[in-house]
Amino acid sequence: MNYTSLFGYLLGEVVLTAAAFVILIADVMCHRKDDVGARNQRMAWWTLTGLFLAAVVYAIQFAQGNANFADGTLVINPLNLFFKEVILVITAITVFFSMEEPVSKHVGEYYAMILFAAIGMAFLVTSENLLMIFVSIELLSLSLYALVGFQKQILRSAEGAMKYFAFGAVSAAFLLFGLSYIYGATNSLSLPAIAETFKGDPLMARSPVLLIGILFTLVGFGFKIAVVPFHLWAPDAYEGAAAPVAGFVASGSKVASFVALTKFLLLGVAPAAGAATISFPFTPHFTPGWAPVIALMAFISMVWGNLAAITQTNLKRLLAYSSVAHAGYILVALFGAKAWGQTAIYFYIIVYALTNLGAFGVVTALANKVGGDDIRCFAGVWRRAPGLTVLMMIFMLSLAGIPPLAGFFGKFYLFAAGLAADQMQLGYLWLVITAILMSAVSFYYYLQVLRVFYVNPASRGGPISICPCQRWPMTVIALIIFLIGWYPTALLDWIQGFLQRV
Amino acid sequence: MNLLFYIFSGLMLLCAALVVANRHPVTSAMLLILVFFFMAGLFVLLEAFFLAVIQVLVYAGAVMVLFLFVMMLLDIRSSQIRRQNAPAMLAGLSVGFAFWVEFWLILRHSALPVGAPMNFDAGIRPIGKLLFSEFVLPFEITSLLLLAALVGVVLLSQKETR
Amino acid sequence: MMVLAEIAPPTLGLYLGFGALFFGVGLAGVLMRRNVIIILIGVEMMMNAANLNFLAFWHYNPNPSAVMGQMFAIFGITIAGAEAAVGLALVIAVYRHFRGVNVDQMNVLKG
Repeated sequence: MNYTSLFGYLLGEVVLTAAAFVILIADVMCHRKDDVGARNQRMAWWTLTGLFLAAVVYAIQFAQGNANFADGTLVINPLNLFFKEVILVITAITVFFSMEEPVSKHVGEYYAMILFAAIGMAFLVTSENLLMIFVSIELLSLSLYALVGFQKQILRSAEGAMKYFAFGAVSAAFLLFGLSYIYGATNSLSLPAIAETFKGDPLMARSPVLLIGILFTLVGFGFKIAVVPFHLWAPDAYEGAAAPVAGFVASGSKVASFVALTKFLLLGVAPAAGAATISFPFTPHFTPGWAPVIALMAFISMVWGNLAAITQTNLKRLLAYSSVAHAGYILVALFGAKAWGQTAIYFYIIVYALTNLGAFGVVTALANKVGGDDIRCFAGVWRRAPGLTVLMMIFMLSLAGIPPLAGFFGKFYLFAAGLAADQMQLGYLWLVITAILMSAVSFYYYLQVLRVFYVNPASRGGPISICPCQRWPMTVIALIIFLIGWYPTALLDWIQGFLQRV
Repeated sequence: MNLLFYIFSGLMLLCAALVVANRHPVTSAMLLILVFFFMAGLFVLLEAFFLAVIQVLVYAGAVMVLFLFVMMLLDIRSSQIRRQNAPAMLAGLSVGFAFWVEFWLILRHSALPVGAPMNFDAGIRPIGKLLFSEFVLPFEITSLLLLAALVGVVLLSQKETR
Repeated sequence: MMVLAEIAPPTLGLYLGFGALFFGVGLAGVLMRRNVIIILIGVEMMMNAANLNFLAFWHYNPNPSAVMGQMFAIFGITIAGAEAAVGLALVIAVYRHFRGVNVDQMNVLKG
């Protein structure tokens, strides 16, 4: 037990916390009288400085080797550090997006809350302990509730936040209840220790107490990753939140929650998977465990998410349902062989988060200037902001999974991992077929959005000027998507290398 | 002593049911205080004395006051159970019912890792030690969480003109 | 006195059963009531049921000197309190728009 070394390992988060304090205090003390726009920019730069410093700290920690503090409450390894960097990038892009126009006049609190949420995400990806997972999920959720409700004088924002909170609170109670059963069944809190208990006791994987615990925990995680039937908050929260916040919820929170879920299932309770295979010719084979639950959630999410997205008239709601569908695709890879499935999930979640963030960036940049975030408002925007619509095309095609872009390879790896499960018995073929069919359906609504952007008769108005603080991050995202699309093996090799050094 | 368990848990459930079924939020809140007291009684029976104290202080002392304060502030008098919405009512009742039937059955028929209750240090010393050694990290994060909640609450409940 | 002595001592299963029942009552409240404040109260009860589980598991643990169950319950109580505060703040924010706290009123966002 060495507090000095612990402080060293935590330095990145400490920097983020310090940045949040500086912002909270500086905004109240020094810049009270300034104009809101100027304050917003100044605070955004403070936030970016904090994020940059933290990123430098993490980069240095890469070289230092692995560490495991107190029962997995803090696990430092290249993979976790890599995801912390990803989260910092996502947060930084969100900050850039909110730079042009302040979300509300409480500028300091806004950036401090974003930093708190980022700290929650960083702890979520770096811990392998049930208590830490619960605490960091709650830190993340509470910050996000406040962020969604930030424009509370607007009715939509208040209502979206209330719905987000109501679902979140119930699922937090489920999570806590589930964790209590897992603790009771295995008598330990750290994921590796939980995995150990399976070795000593062959009956453990069938223990009803453990299985109920896992089921309830999955309800809690299901809310965070927004899979059907726990997705009901997502469209309302995304529509109610300011566009940069919606992008943050849809990307950052997703990345952190998926990493934690993957670790929980594959590192902690993998032996309790059970099975939900259907072998040829149609003989279903179900054994109790988390696999049937995940398979069912993946199946309904893919079907319902895609079908509901078709009927949406609001772009943010459409993106919300598309994110529900994408959560379903990602769950398919959980059945893959351990290393391969993990790699595919990590690859896709990064690609997906960046793409989605870019799409929300386009909404941020345009919504106020075209008079709303309904899809019809964007009619013929191509003439008014040609550069931005090209970016939107890249994001939409990547989400749909068109070959030269990153989204295609992400989906390919996910579905390949789903197929490789089960010792080449192809038991999860039914899920993969559903996924492929449903991503074909998704082409329809992504192309529909592009059709409105490009083909529909133009709305009036001159060219729209986009703040460089929004244009450049989006361009960078689009470039990354292109590059990953050209050299998918580069990112794949990275992730595999990190996984080997865990 | 054994009888106490049944008294506490029986009354706790009764009060909980009344909390949920009551029309008047203020009465619900008052009954909830009773629920938390009985729960604290169960904690005492489990020899978690510190937690029992915390339960009364935090829930009955702080959280309930907050609830009552908001009710007073918003002048909420009475509310009905979702009457026009029969499916929701049915769903609620059946979920609640299914829950405990299922749990009861499973827990009765499964082997739990039970050790005989024995003598151990039930004081707060081991808790305090752990909070500042092994669990220092979640402890610190919780302080951050409380700060985030504080900022969020101030921000959300503040009255603002458009 | 004889009758009292014959009452069976509570077991882990009994504690867990009551915990589950309590959780079920809270959940039923969440699903059945329209008043957001009562829904919040239901959530608090569900959280409390989980804390009871932690303490029961800890008490009947083969190794009770590891107080992890108590630890988790402390964090559970703290976080439930923080969550209630944020929830009530949101209730106030929503009340300013709808002049009420019933969930059926909140139907602006649809689709």
